[in-house]
Amino acid sequence: MKKIALLCAVILVCVLSVSGLVSAQTRVRVMWAEYDGLTPDYAVNLEQAFEAAHPDIDLEIISTPWPEFFDRLITFVVGGQAPDLSVIGTRWLLDLMEMGVVEPIAQWVSDETLANIDPALREGTIGGVLYGLPVAAGTRLLYYRSDIVERAPETFEEMLDMALKVHNPEERINAVGMSGMLYPELTEHAYYLFGNDGYYFEILPDGTYGRSTVNDEAGLEAMQFMNDLVNTHQVTQPGVTAYSRDELQDLFAAGNLVFFMSGGFTSAILEARDVPFEWSVAPLPHFEGKPQSSLIVTDSMVMFNTSLAKEEAGKFLDFFYSDPWRLEFDKLVGFPPVTKSLADEPYFQTPVYRVMVEQIPGAKGWPLMEEWPEANDIIWDNISAIFLGIKTPEQGMNDAAAEIDALRGM
Amino acid sequence: MRTPPFVKKEMMIRKGKFWKTESTFAYLLLLPATVFLIVFMFYPIFSVILMSFFQVNRLGQLMAFDPLGNYRFLAGRPDFWQIIIRTCVWTALSVSVKTAIGLIIALLLNIKFTGRKLARTLVIIPWASSVPISAMMWQWTYNADFGLLNHTLRVLGISDPPIWLAFPRTAFLANIWVDIWCGIPFMALVFLAGLQAIPQELYEAAEVDGATSWLKFRYVTMPLLSGIMIVATLLSTLWTFNSFNIIWILTMGGPAGTTDILVTHIYRYSFLYQRWGPAAAMAVITFMMLLTVSIAYARRYFREGAA
Repeated sequence: MKKIALLCAVILVCVLSVSGLVSAQTRVRVMWAEYDGLTPDYAVNLEQAFEAAHPDIDLEIISTPWPEFFDRLITFVVGGQAPDLSVIGTRWLLDLMEMGVVEPIAQWVSDETLANIDPALREGTIGGVLYGLPVAAGTRLLYYRSDIVERAPETFEEMLDMALKVHNPEERINAVGMSGMLYPELTEHAYYLFGNDGYYFEILPDGTYGRSTVNDEAGLEAMQFMNDLVNTHQVTQPGVTAYSRDELQDLFAAGNLVFFMSGGFTSAILEARDVPFEWSVAPLPHFEGKPQSSLIVTDSMVMFNTSLAKEEAGKFLDFFYSDPWRLEFDKLVGFPPVTKSLADEPYFQTPVYRVMVEQIPGAKGWPLMEEWPEANDIIWDNISAIFLGIKTPEQGMNDAAAEIDALRGM
Repeated sequence: MRTPPFVKKEMMIRKGKFWKTESTFAYLLLLPATVFLIVFMFYPIFSVILMSFFQVNRLGQLMAFDPLGNYRFLAGRPDFWQIIIRTCVWTALSVSVKTAIGLIIALLLNIKFTGRKLARTLVIIPWASSVPISAMMWQWTYNADFGLLNHTLRVLGISDPPIWLAFPRTAFLANIWVDIWCGIPFMALVFLAGLQAIPQELYEAAEVDGATSWLKFRYVTMPLLSGIMIVATLLSTLWTFNSFNIIWILTMGGPAGTTDILVTHIYRYSFLYQRWGPAAAMAVITFMMLLTVSIAYARRYFREGAA
């Protein structure tokens, strides 16, 4: 009987000590996006490896499919169950900021981690404060038929010269692909605007956005050039206002375009379709005398100010942004690396990755403001009106700028 | 012999033991359906109407009471009036063509011929497929480079066929045609049902009186079909006015906003711009317009019925 009582006492002590150990651990909850290609094993291995390195932290990775991610995250936040960290589409930051739940992130990660991320990738910055670290990012590229032109143009002026020589509508070879159909992203315009050192808004000294600059000198020149390609030189495919990005992609894959600007995803499609012509990629062209610049689109990782484990969450970020884990992550999701230290990795030396990485330092993201989706449509509608000859480039861009400023109460 | 329980219950109702009156019991039976209607139909309508009188933040929370702010904002936008006119044109054109083609098809399917059953089955196909899928199919059909429509035109010798979705007029008509294509089967089937309900004796009597086919159509078919026609065109008007998928998939309201109608504009303001106040005001305006049309149709229907 005594033995049994002793055994029970030992078990009780063990249980209590284990539970005491557990309660001594700090829990960090991370909402994790199930990107294409990202395996469940990766999350499990990451969790185990991090916990092994930090026995005092209990990491919980909550894997969530992307289509339901936003709703689930908002439900957690509204229900007072916000995780410590979450992946977000960088644009969602605006909603989270309005809810007042996001924590400035720079103070919680090490200087090494911050220094390893190119400033151009810090799209999750509002009013000069960094709220999100980039998780995945992609710059845009110029695709061209290397069997028709020997090399890629460096400038848009050069591209026009080449286009005038190779444009051949009888053979159904259109020199430049131009997307003019209303689309949630104003990508086509951004390529030309950024390539002329322009931007959509004036950036004020405090990092906030001032008046719209789509009608400044850079904006007007870019728009005039686009309109000249379409209506004056007519080197684009006819009826540009009927073409979305996907349709342009099909047209390029069918061999009907010589130059076409798109994201890295197009290369996978061209390879999958095994297109019967030679193609290559190059950085987006820029205007003569202006710096090269590409559009960049990111997802970010944010920290919530309700977190009771900010320091521990910061340790997880340092761990996740270390080379071995980021390399495996980037390989699985297929995006170029977001950390500088991985740029020279052999895996990222294919032409598509090289060009995407090469463009990161000069790249620009979309304006991070709540009125942007509406401003995007205002600009699109005016661009369509310009292409259709309803407005001149100057009229169109002036109207767009005035409407956007009025929308923002300026 | 034991009395069945429901008889017992009935007796209790009559005696006023179980419930005080028979009508109270009836109201109680109606209660679940009433609650359902209030929660799932009237509350959202009330909520949208309320929202239209407030300033609303991006998360959909009501802020300051501003009874006319959202309506004033809409009235001050010149494109809003264009959108209302365009929506009316879109609805009127689509419904009238659907009605005309639907009636012709119904008349043809009402004639006895070999393969009539197959023909009736084939007519249902556009109705059976979902609208977004039909819209996507037409998007490919309209594709300027690889689309079936332009390919056919090229085969027929038209070397430079139109780029349907590139220009305002053709894009608008292309959208309308898809809506018509999706709506014809409903009209045809409803009219066919109406035609089959017309007594054959009336046609025989008209023939005896020497009526031509046109006179039979004019004085027998049309009057007897008018009741069902009013119902069908009312339903079609409501659906077409609120038809979202086709325009959103084919042109997203472009080029240059020339195919934007009220419902696509509401979607844009609510889910893309998160400007819930103006979106709610637009929804209320749409609701009032459709309510007016419905009342007008209903009055016409009851007048026809009375006649």
